[in-house]
Amino acid sequence: MEVVQMQRRFVEYAASLFREGFLDGQFTQLQQLQDESNPDFVVEVVSLFFEDSEKLLNDLSRALDQQNVDFKRVDSHVHQLKGSSSSIGAQRVKNACIAFRNYCEEQNTDACLSCLQQVKQEYSLAKSKLETLFRLEQQILTAGGSIPIMME
Amino acid sequence: MQAFLVLLLPSVVIPLWYDTIKKIEHDAKLSSQKLHTELLSEIKSTAELVHPMNASAMNLARVLNASVSGMKLPFSEIKNRVAPMLFQALSITPHVSQISYIGIDGLLFSYYAHGSEIFALYSNSSISVNSSSPNATAYTWYIQRADSDTGKLYGKVITSPPLVVVNASWFEEAMNSTNGYSSLGTEWNSVQDLFLNTAKVDGRGAVSLGFPVKEVTDFLSVIDLHDGSLCLATEDNKVLIEGLPNTQIMVSNDSISFKVVENQDGDQISHVGNVSCKADDRTPKASVLNISNKDYVVYCSQLEIMGVKSVYALAFPYRGLESRVHKSSRSALILHIVMVVIMVILVSMFMFLLVGAARREMYLRAKLIKQMDATQQAERKSMNKSLAFASASHDVRASLAGLTGLIDISKDEVAPGSEIETNLIQMEGCTKDLLGILNSILDTSKIEAGKMQLEEEEFNLEELLEDVVDLYHPVGMKKGVDVVLDPHDGSVAKFSRVKGDRMKLKQVLCNLLSNAVKFTSEGHVSIRAWAKKPSSESSVLASSQKSMLNRLWSFFCKNNEAFKDLEASNKVQKNPNCMEFVFEVDDTGKGVPKEKQKSVFENYVQVKETALGTGGTGLGLGIVQSLVRLMGGDIGIVDKEIGAKGTCFRFNIFLTTCDTVPSDHGKEEDIEAQGHATSSYSYQPLDLRIQSTCNPGLNILTSPRPSPRAEGSHVIILMQSDERRRITQRLFETLGIKVSVLKEWERFLYALKKIRRKVSLSHRSSSGISEFSPRSFRSGSFSSNAGPKDMPLSAMDGTDLTLPTPRKTYARGTPRFILILIEATAGPFPELCRAVAEFRKDLQNTCCRAVWLDKPTLRSVNFRDVPEEMISPNDLVMLKPFHGSRLYQVAKLLPEFGGPMLGISAISQVGKAGPEPSLSSLPTTNRTTPRKSRSRVRLVKEPEIQEVGTSSNQNPLRGKRVLIAEDSMVLCKLATAHVTRLGGTVEACDNGAKAVELVCNGLRNNTKNNASIILPYDYILMDCEMPEMDGYEATKRIREEEQQYGVHIPIIALTAHANGEEAKRTIEAGMDYHLSKPLKRETLMGAIEYTNSR
Repeated sequence: MEVVQMQRRFVEYAASLFREGFLDGQFTQLQQLQDESNPDFVVEVVSLFFEDSEKLLNDLSRALDQQNVDFKRVDSHVHQLKGSSSSIGAQRVKNACIAFRNYCEEQNTDACLSCLQQVKQEYSLAKSKLETLFRLEQQILTAGGSIPIMME
Repeated sequence: MQAFLVLLLPSVVIPLWYDTIKKIEHDAKLSSQKLHTELLSEIKSTAELVHPMNASAMNLARVLNASVSGMKLPFSEIKNRVAPMLFQALSITPHVSQISYIGIDGLLFSYYAHGSEIFALYSNSSISVNSSSPNATAYTWYIQRADSDTGKLYGKVITSPPLVVVNASWFEEAMNSTNGYSSLGTEWNSVQDLFLNTAKVDGRGAVSLGFPVKEVTDFLSVIDLHDGSLCLATEDNKVLIEGLPNTQIMVSNDSISFKVVENQDGDQISHVGNVSCKADDRTPKASVLNISNKDYVVYCSQLEIMGVKSVYALAFPYRGLESRVHKSSRSALILHIVMVVIMVILVSMFMFLLVGAARREMYLRAKLIKQMDATQQAERKSMNKSLAFASASHDVRASLAGLTGLIDISKDEVAPGSEIETNLIQMEGCTKDLLGILNSILDTSKIEAGKMQLEEEEFNLEELLEDVVDLYHPVGMKKGVDVVLDPHDGSVAKFSRVKGDRMKLKQVLCNLLSNAVKFTSEGHVSIRAWAKKPSSESSVLASSQKSMLNRLWSFFCKNNEAFKDLEASNKVQKNPNCMEFVFEVDDTGKGVPKEKQKSVFENYVQVKETALGTGGTGLGLGIVQSLVRLMGGDIGIVDKEIGAKGTCFRFNIFLTTCDTVPSDHGKEEDIEAQGHATSSYSYQPLDLRIQSTCNPGLNILTSPRPSPRAEGSHVIILMQSDERRRITQRLFETLGIKVSVLKEWERFLYALKKIRRKVSLSHRSSSGISEFSPRSFRSGSFSSNAGPKDMPLSAMDGTDLTLPTPRKTYARGTPRFILILIEATAGPFPELCRAVAEFRKDLQNTCCRAVWLDKPTLRSVNFRDVPEEMISPNDLVMLKPFHGSRLYQVAKLLPEFGGPMLGISAISQVGKAGPEPSLSSLPTTNRTTPRKSRSRVRLVKEPEIQEVGTSSNQNPLRGKRVLIAEDSMVLCKLATAHVTRLGGTVEACDNGAKAVELVCNGLRNNTKNNASIILPYDYILMDCEMPEMDGYEATKRIREEEQQYGVHIPIIALTAHANGEEAKRTIEAGMDYHLSKPLKRETLMGAIEYTNSR
């Protein structure tokens, strides 16, 4: 009974993530890639993404702190962040990155800084949401249930 | 100035001429003077001629003197002695008209001639010398007639009044002179004037001879005077000859004075002038007189006639030779001067006009320069405006992007279903519209600024067309307008792989199609395209003529623009691979009014009446035109047939074809096809190669000529849309297939029945021999060649099953294969289904397949409603729009084009389970619409068959090795997972340098181990932006390395950039395909398929 409840919660939570745009179809693809031979694939990829993103965000804040901002570098960082976020389906982080890049082209430092803040915010949001999701997943697994297949 | 030089000539010539004329005048004067002098001397000599007459009186006196000397001379004596002598003398001497002897005492005897008679006058009484006053009665004269032969007197004596001759001066003079005396006197009877020559005889009397004046002057008047006239008068003022009419002359003191008698009566007398006759030298002086309004030259001289001193005047009219010459030369001079004056006037007028014209030209030039300045300024202004506009639009777009992002973010925040959310959604829609408008404006300004560049990339034109039509088909369906892709002559399929700007072409097509759909409320919109060789001959001919003209023109005008333009267009057409593609978008909408057709392409112009309520900026067609021109073509509105509704836009562009025909069979057939294409146009449709989208590179050449077999396949079409029906029918007809088309389903049922009856009849009567076409075998081999992915194992099984089946009796005259194309919406589905099932039941030896066309949104094909035995497993359901690749797919069902001969064997197995080969053997996996194909399969088949299909598709990379170069761990992991899932093995590295190293090592090891080269990796997935060495550089290195071994490893680029520019760059770097992140399974599969096909 508890497992079923947990499963329902999990499904609802995941659906809300999709509905609110935190995640997109790419995440489903990610989940589809996970199988018996690779049981922790999603978690691995997502944690890689977290590491990667944190490093990139640090780099970005450092780059934007400097007197003469090297926009080319900033742009390439944002580009990377955009690539990895889109790959795991963190849609809102990706969207924030797109806006960020526009300002990078204009070389607008202030706007870039505010964008950075926005990206950071989106990132932490996505991180917390995904961690919650994984926690739920873990709970189901420990309770002995199977993880329901998510629908788009 | 030069004009005045013209005046120089006459001013030189005229004096010369004047001088000559003067000389001539002088000569004329001289000659006329000479003439006059000659005349004068002639007169003189004539006067000399009459001199001998003077002497006759003296001679007679001498003779008388001798006979009467010493004698007394009474009258009797005189009568007897003197009178006969006198008579003799009268008779002998010429011109004498009167001869007389006069005694000093008054005795007188005289003869005179009066007419032809001769009279004698005498006086027999003397005058007393004493008495001073003679008695009149005593002295009497008598006149008596004398015989003209003898001189004897006879007849009556008449007394005549006497004259005292003795006292007359001339008598006294004669008596005193010894040499006689000449004088002018009158005749005795006073009839005429005479010259009297008197000589004394013995001191007692005198002899006088009278010559008539008239006879003497006649000598003078015979002289030819050359228009002149002669006046003669004695010195004692007796006029002898009156030369000039109405003129009196008076002689006084060696001069003659002329007087003119004005009127008839002679009372008005005016003095004219005196002419002196004193001869100073030999030549007489000439003087000019005006006599009665006429000028005369008068010469005057003295002359002695018969001893009488006289004066003569010779008058010539002044208007003689000389004066005539003088006068004409003068008038000529005047004429000359007038001429010169006129010339001067003309020249100055000419100069005046010239100066005026020059001034006007200067004025115009100044104005032109001013105008040009103004134009340049305006152009500059407009350019600046465009630039400012472009940059402003760019800024607007940037903020708009921010706006979109913000809306997105807020949309996530709000509670779903609230009013704010709907507002936000509306706002998003608005921003999208705004962005669209802005983009079109940006495009316009880009084109205006000349910054629009063509981005060349390789693409499939056929696919593009189909994509575009598919895009607008649902929009059209919503309005009830059918959007049809017309394959036309199939030439696009032949040259489908082209190089050009895909995005811009798509933009053009989308724009035209959306316009067409927008303005069409009923009917259809059809788009057709065909390729043709650029008509080089005609264009070259025209251009050479043009260029000649242009050369001339540019030579004169220094305007090379047109020429450059021409060169550019020539350059486009010089490329041998260059093909001209013509596109037509034809609708049945409202149409564009004739007069608006030109302006439609101008920016910001909308046809007002039709644009109502449709919106838009009016930039669309302007951009379209610019883009088409950018691609070297032109766009226009084609006149439709009279009565036809709507508009037909036609444009042509030049694209380079990539004549890489992948398969070897394809190459041969391609050559063949081209041979046919060049030999005759009419055969061209038959050469249509159907290129399936699911396995690119598989070319199926249709039979160039209808096969010799009696009957091939038969296609029955039931479709409602006229245009689509027509196009489908034409396609099959050009393929050489028999087609029946129907519109209403009732007629369809009837037609099916008819065909069934015919087929069964022929079947019963005939005992045909099996005639299985070798083509079917060939087609089988074709299918197996196509690749393991597209033709899964079950397909092989299918061929095994189907091949032996047709070895049955085959009815000559019946179609071998009947394909029924049914639009499911054309009638009630169960009815149609039943009809088809019945139809099929009756066909024993004929293969029959039905293809149902269904709407993607509103499904009307529902097999659950019909009994299962009615459904053939061979039947297919296809989703609309039915054209392009789907149409070809259906065409490929025909055995002529490699379709399996299904159905006959299958009929026995109808309805029952077991892996049905037919469906999976069909190329149902449509790359462009994979989801649709899956759903299609589901509709017809049980799920297990789907699983068969998918499981075979699951591991296309089985046994393949893939190298992934990706710096981002996340992406690397992801890609690895994808590839592993597809069955491949992965090697990963995190920068370009490592990738290059791995490839090099692999290549080296493989060559060491083996004689033949095995590729170290089957595919390389390469991220473009990596630290140390980026993907471009790495690809270049790998390609260089590969060259040594003569191999080519497919490299698939991964970028986060979505635009075509980046894709172009990857292709330039030597990569084979371009994928944009995030990596998806479908796109990865597509890339691998694509690289496989190359």
